[in-house]
Amino acid sequence: MSAPILQVSQLTKRFGSLVALNNVSLEIREGEIFSIIGPNGAGKTTLFFNIVGLQKPDAGRVLFRGADITGKPPHKICDLGITCTFQVPRAFANMTVEEAVRVGAYQRYRGREVQRKVDEVLQICELEEYRHQRCCDMGLAPLRRVELARALATEPVLLLLDEAGAGLNPSELAGFMEILRRLNEEKRITLCIVEHVMQMVMGLAQRIVVLDYGEVIAEGTPQEISTNPRVIEAYLGKGAVC
Amino acid sequence: MGRIRKDPNLILLTALLGAALLLPLAIRSNQYALVLLTTILLYGVLATAWNIIGGLAGQLDLAAGAYLGLGAFTTGTLLIRWNVSPWLGMILGGLVAVGFALIVGYPLFRFGVKEVWYALSSAALVEVLRVTFLIWSQVGGPVERYLPYHEWSLYHLRFATYLPFFYIMLGMLVLALLVNHWIRQSRLGYYLMALGENEEAAEVLGVNTQSCKLEALAIYAFIVGVTGGIYACMYGFIHPNFFSGPMSTEVAILGIVGGLGVTYGPVMAAILLVSVRELLRAQLGGQLEGLYLVVYSVVLILIALFRPQGLGPLVRQAYGRLLSRVAKE
Repeated sequence: MSAPILQVSQLTKRFGSLVALNNVSLEIREGEIFSIIGPNGAGKTTLFFNIVGLQKPDAGRVLFRGADITGKPPHKICDLGITCTFQVPRAFANMTVEEAVRVGAYQRYRGREVQRKVDEVLQICELEEYRHQRCCDMGLAPLRRVELARALATEPVLLLLDEAGAGLNPSELAGFMEILRRLNEEKRITLCIVEHVMQMVMGLAQRIVVLDYGEVIAEGTPQEISTNPRVIEAYLGKGAVC
Repeated sequence: MGRIRKDPNLILLTALLGAALLLPLAIRSNQYALVLLTTILLYGVLATAWNIIGGLAGQLDLAAGAYLGLGAFTTGTLLIRWNVSPWLGMILGGLVAVGFALIVGYPLFRFGVKEVWYALSSAALVEVLRVTFLIWSQVGGPVERYLPYHEWSLYHLRFATYLPFFYIMLGMLVLALLVNHWIRQSRLGYYLMALGENEEAAEVLGVNTQSCKLEALAIYAFIVGVTGGIYACMYGFIHPNFFSGPMSTEVAILGIVGGLGVTYGPVMAAILLVSVRELLRAQLGGQLEGLYLVVYSVVLILIALFRPQGLGPLVRQAYGRLLSRVAKE
């Protein structure tokens, strides 16, 4: 079993009286594909935001390779090697695909190297034909790949994907999953996917954590999770297991 | 070399610059026309500088008058009191403007003051400075302070004709455009565009949005501050009304009408709108006070209705069509 790359311990985040995350602890291991699932409002996106630094937790700690990164600003966390994509694509609407990816590539490169990185990432994400298209003129499927490409250009070691498969049709989804699988196998990028699309979770994830009302209710392999009565209850309600 | 010589953009720019250089010959010593042209250039410089913070970084800044006034007062006061040449004075004026911008910008960006709130805060700055300089009798006060008169002194940057100011302002415009062009293609430029589009997305991609905004603000303030120094010498006096709210707003309007983030957009907007405004003022000013502003607003409304993305993209299309036609023949 490989070493943990990210440890979240007893993380709590409140918005007024709403407890979005309650004492959440989990561990992501180096090189794996990890998944967080849970019904709407379970706190998945909040957890992501607290890891990458877009929000600061009220209590608890986030450790990256053993070092405390709790509450650091996002650009510093990106520099360490963690970045994320957004549930609703936050495209740089008036920039071309190439320009948008360039923003990420500047994180580690300067001068001519920037363009080399951009070309490499565009090829991986199958975006070469869209290179000069403006982001606001693009459909959802390529736009999701632009989000991925932008993030990849920063050369993350841990990539958090927030519902990257939502709204894709089966063939688009299969293509997207193939890209992710390749990133994990060839580039050794640890992936953490938050997802509603079970096809994607079951097809990719090696380990799954289930969140409900801000708390971890189950953890295990896809097989274990799909037969766990508490998970079925959280999704379908009490009495669904007979 | 061959590629450079054939680049149509470069040929066009050189032609435009050449035409601008020769323009004063055409109007001879008509001082009114010279002031008008220099004013157009002045607004061109200010709006081009504004494009960095307002266009690229998308921060609706309404404080151009604050930096212009600081530059003017620094340059003017140094010249009046200590006979310091405005050439040095305007650089110092630019630095004073930068210092002020950083002092104000740091807390604004640190605490995430954005959009309308940033616009209002920056607009308030201008008024705060105006009143401060009205009260501060050692350098300001309600009476104009005149710069020493010289028929023709390069050291004092004082001339009996507006001709030199036309060329100095033209030089500033070329500088401002070059700075813009350079930023647009640099890391800072990409970062500014990204944070202008979506700040959180830029942050997770490694952009330190706070320091990028400060950098953009500082560059903008410096150009405007230096221009303020030239402005004071051109008009021959300094007065707290240089901290002008309406002027600040107009700079932002030119930047927006020119097309946000388009390098040469603000200049075109300045050429079009400032000359329209001045012509209207000359034609209608004598008939009814403020009438020219009514017509001017109608022009603005028409642009907002029919070209909400600004004039820049329009000219880019026309230029592209022209190029392809030339290429065919």
